[in-house]
Parts: sequence; C-alpha cells; structure tokens
Amino acid sequence: MKRTYAYIISLLALISTSDIVAQKPAASEPHNGNIMAHKPAATEPPDTVVFPLAIRVGIDFAGPVIYLTDKNNLTAEGYLSADLNEKRSLLLGVGYANYKYSQYNYSYRTNGMFIRAGVDFNLLKPKTSMGKYWAGVGLHYGISVFTYEIPELSQENYWGMTTSSVPSQAHWGHFIELTPGFRAQLFGNLSLGWSLGLRKMIYSGGSKDTRPIYIPGYGLSANTFSAGINYFLVWNFRYRKINVIIKKEPPQEPDEDVTPQPNSGSGNNQKMEP
Amino acid sequence: MRSFRNLFIASILAGFFLLAYSCTPGACFDETNAYMKASLFLDSTGKQTAPDSLSLWGTGMDTSKIYDAKVSLKQAFLPLDGSSVKCKFTIMINGVYDTLTAWYSTFPHLISKECGYTFYHNLDSVHTTNHKIIKISITKNSITNQIEENIRIYY
Repeated sequence: MKRTYAYIISLLALISTSDIVAQKPAASEPHNGNIMAHKPAATEPPDTVVFPLAIRVGIDFAGPVIYLTDKNNLTAEGYLSADLNEKRSLLLGVGYANYKYSQYNYSYRTNGMFIRAGVDFNLLKPKTSMGKYWAGVGLHYGISVFTYEIPELSQENYWGMTTSSVPSQAHWGHFIELTPGFRAQLFGNLSLGWSLGLRKMIYSGGSKDTRPIYIPGYGLSANTFSAGINYFLVWNFRYRKINVIIKKEPPQEPDEDVTPQPNSGSGNNQKMEP
Repeated sequence: MRSFRNLFIASILAGFFLLAYSCTPGACFDETNAYMKASLFLDSTGKQTAPDSLSLWGTGMDTSKIYDAKVSLKQAFLPLDGSSVKCKFTIMINGVYDTLTAWYSTFPHLISKECGYTFYHNLDSVHTTNHKIIKISITKNSITNQIEENIRIYY
C-alpha cells in the first residue's frame, strides 16, 4: 500500500509538470533561434529544420521513491547518452541495487552493480521532436555483477524442521532489454521522461537449484523475461546543431468531386434559357 | 503539440498502472515438498496394483502415521528427513510389517520467490526387510517436487 502511495505521488508530480511541457514550447518557440531554421512561410512548409544534438545525463527517481516506502529494495541508476543524429543516440547506463526479501521459510539478500549500453531510436519526426521531445525505443545489453546469499531457509515436514543456508557468492548476469518510452522538455535544459524495461535473461548465474531470485538491473529472475519502469530527470547539454531535411508536403490537388459536370442536373450547371 | 502532451500524459498513466500491477504480490501454487514416490507392484503379475490395506510411518513415530490402513493406494509418498542422511519407515502391507530404509543426500532448491526453497534429495540406496515385500528397486535417484516415480516396491 505504501508503495502505491509513492507511485501516486510521483504520478501527480509528473502530470503537473506535463502541463509545463505542453505549454512552454508554444510560448517560447518564436523566440528560440535554436529550434527553427527559419519561420515557415504561410503557404509553404520548411524543407529543413535545425536540430540540436545533445549529450544527456539522466537520473532515475523511481528507485529512490520506492526505497522511501520499501527499505528492502534500493535501486539507484543513471545514464549518459549522446545523440548521433536526430534519430539515434548511444546510451551508457550504470546503477546499483540492494535487495532484501524474507518470508516465513527463507530470507534472501543481494547487492551489486550493473551497466547497460546500447542505442536509442527516436520515432518522432524531427519537426515534432525538435530535440525537446522523444518518443521511441532503446535496445540495450546489460551486465550485472552481484553477490547474493540465503542467510536462512527452513522447511517443516513429517520429520520436523530442516534448516540450512547458502553463503554469499558472486555471479555475473547478462540480459538484453527493449525500452520503449517518452521524454519531454520541462524547461531550459531539463527534461522528464519514463521508459519501460522489457528484459530477456541470457545468463543468470548460480546453480540451477539455488539460482538468484533477484538480479540487479534485471529484476526478479524467476522468469526469463522481466519488466520494469524508470522515471528519469534528464539534463541536456547541447553540443551541436544539424540541419535535417524534411519531406515537403505535396500541394493539395483540387477535389474532382466538385468539378462541374456539363451534363449533370445540378442547379449550378443548368442551361440558361434566353 | 497538444496531441503529444495528451500522449505523454496517457503514457505516464499507462506506466503507472503497469507499475502498480507489476508490484502485486504473487502466490505460491506449486508443490513445496519433495517426496520419495514409491509405486506398489504385485510381484506375481508384475502390474502396479494397490494392496488391500497399507499403513506407513516413520520408525519410532508410531503415533503419527503417514498412511493408516489406506486402501486403493498405488503410489505412496514418503517424506524424507532433510537433516539426516537416512530415513527408516515401517510399512504394513495387508497386515504384514516390513522396514524400509533409504540413504540419500539433501540440498536446497529454489521453487520460486513466492514458494521459497524446498529440499531436494539424491537417493543413494534403499533396503527393505522381506516379510511381505519381495523386492525393491530404484527407478529415479533424483527426488524432487515433481510427480515422478523414484522406487518400486514388489509385494
């Protein structure tokens, strides 16, 4: 329940800031020379736009918010990305996770670092994106270096209670992830965004009997597929502008339906009798 | 830009509900005990046959029976002691007592986050007295929570 409250708070914060996202560009665009190459003519759409390329530093704030309500689950992560062009950017993310879980018959602890690297693809048109908005998908490869231990596990049956433990052991985990998401500029160089993490395990480490339950950067490893979500605050460092050619919209052809028909019976084409 | 704004808000809402759903705790529906599964065979026919009556308990634990005069039982589930390397059972088939001893090793096995860990066993050997039981054989050494026959008891 506490966790749900945390999500509601972060959700309200995001919705309130999204008004800024929507209103700010409309007010500032005419004064911002970085955004448009030239003001489009009233009748002719522009054939190029100036697109600012940026290096971005993003910090996830979903993990710390969750930690405020659940002290057993800490994830801190961030990323650095650099635009290659208006469509693609390279990403390198790093993070740390500390996860504890216990229930009536066992307890589990893990902590470790993870990195992920890959390419993000912006699916918005350059004219819509303008370096301020991003809607797309990332394709990343992740590596996790972690230790885990099972300090106690027990089971009761006909013969009584059996207890055991598994000492701390270090492992590597490998996974790939697809990260569809959105990002929008709040103001100045600050952006806000979120992305889903759809992850596929490649290698989880550990023996098949005492495999890790949770892998930093991947999440719960019971299945070979895991999903998560990140909310990022992003700082943009614009380092270059490029001219992006955009397709000219073809001129609209006259509608054939309204072409006068010589032999039609409509009132407009009636013969005028002397 | 208004349409992008609406899309952004919708996407945040969708993400929120996905997150809330993903945090719903799961439940354990799996079998959490690893029993030694013993199939009962009639030696004269070689077919799996339930005895008229079967009682079973851990030797020295007469007051707590695993099966008490059970009828129509073709496969018995024998719990093993995870803190020991052997277990001794008293088995009574059609009113005749025998003692069955199993030697094994034990190791923890993760079922799932929700169910936790159980103890699996690797069966090394089994031995029985031959009052009613004629012979006994191991068919699968690995004792898990799956429904898989481990030993055959011929009577």
